[in-house]
Amino acid sequence: MSELLVRHRGLIALSARETVRVMKIWTMTIVAPILSSFLFILVFGLSLGGRLKEVQGVEYQVFIVPGLITMAMIQAAYANNSTSVFQARFDRYINDILAAPMKPWEVNLALSIGGIVRALLIGIGLLVCALAVVDVPVRHPFELIVAVTFALALFASFGVIAGIYAHSWDHTAFVTNIVILPLTFLGGVFYSVDRLPSPWHEISHANPIFYLLNAIRYGFLGISDVSVLLSLGVTGALAAAMVAWSSWLFRTGHRLKP
Amino acid sequence: MPPPPALAISGLTKRYDNGFQALDSLDLEVPSGAFFGLLGPNGAGKTTLISAVCNLIRVTAGEVRVFGHEHATYAARSLVGLAEQDVNLDRFLDVEETLLYHGGYYGMDRAHARRRAGEMMDVFDLRAKAGVRAPHLSGGMRRRLLLARALMHEPRLVILDEPTAGVDFELRMELWAYIRRLHCEGTTILLTTHYLEEAEELCEEIALLRGGRLLARDSADGLRSSFDADSLADAYVKAMSIS
Repeated sequence: MSELLVRHRGLIALSARETVRVMKIWTMTIVAPILSSFLFILVFGLSLGGRLKEVQGVEYQVFIVPGLITMAMIQAAYANNSTSVFQARFDRYINDILAAPMKPWEVNLALSIGGIVRALLIGIGLLVCALAVVDVPVRHPFELIVAVTFALALFASFGVIAGIYAHSWDHTAFVTNIVILPLTFLGGVFYSVDRLPSPWHEISHANPIFYLLNAIRYGFLGISDVSVLLSLGVTGALAAAMVAWSSWLFRTGHRLKP
Repeated sequence: MPPPPALAISGLTKRYDNGFQALDSLDLEVPSGAFFGLLGPNGAGKTTLISAVCNLIRVTAGEVRVFGHEHATYAARSLVGLAEQDVNLDRFLDVEETLLYHGGYYGMDRAHARRRAGEMMDVFDLRAKAGVRAPHLSGGMRRRLLLARALMHEPRLVILDEPTAGVDFELRMELWAYIRRLHCEGTTILLTTHYLEEAEELCEEIALLRGGRLLARDSADGLRSSFDADSLADAYVKAMSIS
């Protein structure tokens, strides 16, 4: 074990650096997203929830919690890593990392850790806040852990990739605002896709975040618009693709090294 | 058997994606323990050469060996310290953290890194700024920290890319004194500079680069003699004007 730690000191140091970055600006990286998502629970759940019918046998204010936790976590994993990597490229201190005796997979993993830690802290924090006002069960913990693992791998790697390809700060924000946020809302954070009329019902099934939301909602509430195996399969395949892409970028130096 | 050279470069070629050829089949050997200068105009290939040694670019062709090790290996990377021309410090870290994390990236254990960071802060007069983040340091302090970071993991080959660019006279003298001391302790120094007097004052041997090719290499006296010049500046101008 200790030999393993010695061999991977670079990985540990860079992972620690990414985590320290998150914690140094914790009001922005942790508290703000928890607060904004909690406001959704208060406004949409408690204020309007009483006027809405149950969804798939679950009270509305409970139904939306897994989706809001998912949305906050994936946005944090993506935003953290895209900005951290882009900042490192922009200020050129990434050269200190690329010149160091670390393997490409170590650099890739370490740069992903910050987003994963941040997303987990937000997810746990938001769940704790939600439990103060609504009763959210965890019906299938194994499926929940697998779904969260896939979600974090997918969006942490996506963030690293975006940070590597971005030419400006606008590019990283563009993906959040134009891709992730709309797909998350349309993936069924606030409603069951089963209630949508055709063709919106069918179109929603082409949205990859729909499967991720349903996998995590199944883990919490035991309900899903599609088979949990299909949800986990789609999310796992996308996560594998993103991890493979980011690994390739670090292995070849494409876009990182001129 | 003689020790391997600090740097052995053969047939090094770099053509960037936009077609610009920065290095053209360059051969260069820097002996272990040397104080070696690289001179040339902007675009001569000095920074590209350094970037190739430090694995910061993808080389098009050729081979780079550091103390006998292929440059991309763990062993080679551990032996090289780089202070880049631009101040590229991590804005989220303070002075001490910058040194500690750098030590971690290079495999130093926490206690060793802490001890070495303390030494570096003392040597470069950074102790009073230990808790200050890089963006809040003065230009001179940032330059000191850059050098301290490059030396943190005790490299055998230290590459200094225009280390005194834009610094005041006092700091330049201080940095010269420290670099000289480092060389006296056996560290190989590869220095690029636009200040000819700096190269003449510090370097035992100087290579003149232009258009990614090696024009000449010799001591300052040797270059003056080869180009029939009164000063290194004259020799430089004559070398660069050869078509």
